[in-house]
Amino acid sequence: MRVVIAEDLALLREGLVALLRENDIDVVAQVEDGPGLLRALAGHEPDLAIVDVRLPPSYSDEGILAAIEARRSRPALGVLVLSQYVETAYASELIGDDTAGIGYLLKERVGDVKAFLDALHTVAAGGTVLDRQVVAELLAPRDGAEAPWGWTAREREVLALMAEGRSNAAIAESLVVTPGAVEKHITNIFAKLELPVCDEDHRRVLAVLAYLRVAR
Amino acid sequence: MTLAHKRLRVARRRATIMAMASHARLPLDLSLPQGVKPRRWMPVLASGLSIGEYARSLVRRLAFLSAVLVAAIWALDGRGYFWPAWAWLGLGDLVLLDFAAGWAWRQPSGAVRRVACVWAVVGAAATILVCTWLLTWLLAGDQSFWPTWALLGLATTGSGYSLMALHDRVLVAHGRRALRARVDLLTRTRRQAVDAQAVELRRIERDLHDGAQARLVALTLQLGRAELRVQDQPELRGLILDAQREAHHAIAELRDLARGIVPPLLADRGLVAAVESLAARYGLGTAITAEVQRGLAPAIESAAYFVIAEALTNTVKHAHAQRSWVVLCDEQRTLAVTVGDDGVGGADPQGSGLAGLRARVEALDGSLRVHSPAGEGTVLEVRLPCG
Repeated sequence: MRVVIAEDLALLREGLVALLRENDIDVVAQVEDGPGLLRALAGHEPDLAIVDVRLPPSYSDEGILAAIEARRSRPALGVLVLSQYVETAYASELIGDDTAGIGYLLKERVGDVKAFLDALHTVAAGGTVLDRQVVAELLAPRDGAEAPWGWTAREREVLALMAEGRSNAAIAESLVVTPGAVEKHITNIFAKLELPVCDEDHRRVLAVLAYLRVAR
Repeated sequence: MTLAHKRLRVARRRATIMAMASHARLPLDLSLPQGVKPRRWMPVLASGLSIGEYARSLVRRLAFLSAVLVAAIWALDGRGYFWPAWAWLGLGDLVLLDFAAGWAWRQPSGAVRRVACVWAVVGAAATILVCTWLLTWLLAGDQSFWPTWALLGLATTGSGYSLMALHDRVLVAHGRRALRARVDLLTRTRRQAVDAQAVELRRIERDLHDGAQARLVALTLQLGRAELRVQDQPELRGLILDAQREAHHAIAELRDLARGIVPPLLADRGLVAAVESLAARYGLGTAITAEVQRGLAPAIESAAYFVIAEALTNTVKHAHAQRSWVVLCDEQRTLAVTVGDDGVGGADPQGSGLAGLRARVEALDGSLRVHSPAGEGTVLEVRLPCG
């Protein structure tokens, strides 16, 4: 897998590069800003771009804009956006109309190396990975307001983990329940979102996106 | 009685009614009957005089008539001692007082008119005194001009009074100027302090983001790499995972801290985007109308944002509202923010949340109004000067 990293903080960039290289991922370019990312994409034809949200020169949402631009010019590219905070507006914008090959994670998720590498592979292969915080924020019952569609706490947790691209077995392990219980929850979630019957993997993504659309 | 006489009587009556009407500010239009020319003795018809002005003009005319009358009586009475001079003096005093009062009243209202009244009284009194002395001296036929001493005394008193008044005026004017300069200075420096504080807070937020937070993220990354290498040593692996958990807590705390200083979307994309995201998060279906250019001062942006956040929180918690709306409007150097709902109303304007917002808004010379009658929803209006 060929990866481009756009991150302005050297400490983090070098750590990421070391992490990826020792796990047999080819880091073909490291850049510090949005325009640099677009140039690197043209030169190296990577499978995946890892992009920080705040990049020079504006240090605001430069990374999101560069990621959207990169996706527009090369639809096959996987883009994983890393951020120090979760903003559902950014998640909605990133996803746009095409859910394939998009990831949006909090930066500290790199600490869980295995899950992070799984997420990289999922996004590079055209999957969707959203941080559990995005989902948690969307599903959190607001003060005084009713939780939409009558979700249970467990269903929210399962959907959040699904959004991260975890398998049923991984979800069961993480919540310390049986795989059968997880499947039951997932069936309930699909029913509550009234998703059409289709390929299981695709439904999982749709479940998360259905929620994002509500928030939009 | 001829027709012309009748018309004149009608005109006089109408003039009186009009004088009263204009004094009472009634929308009456009483013009002269056709064929009757306005006369000098119809002062009231000149331009809608008030009843007071009509009375004054009457007094002037009566004074003039009386002066002529006493002179005539003196002439018919066989002349001698010219006593009508005293009557003239009295009548002249009346006219003088009337003139002085009229002049004072024409000055702009307020402090200027108050000063003018003092000067009118002093001036009229001095003139009456001088005239009385001169008349007494003339009629007594004294050889020596004794009023010199009286005039000297009057002049001394007058100049003393004038000097004191001038001194006061200079002092007061100076004090007022100094006060205004001080208020200007304080207003300016307070605003600079508030602006500097807002900029400084954003710098702190950025430093947290690029500094401590980034280092902690790098730390969790290194711990993650270390953890992969000690898969076969459960004790060491447990320690590393514990350390990583602590780092995660620290990152989450820093993130909350930074969000409390300035929400990331506000810093990145400005007020409108941040308010839209906020409203979406509350899920109230809030209607947002925004006519604002990006480029508001950070202090204004933050104040407006936290006002709206607090108002929407109150709506969610207490209002049971069906509809909620936010209007942001850039009106000539003022940002007007309105947050409303159609809920139960009855919000306490002195409540701690609103009091905190008021303090924040007032630090920017802004104003905050809460309209929340029970059962009629709540509307919060904030105006922030940003010129």
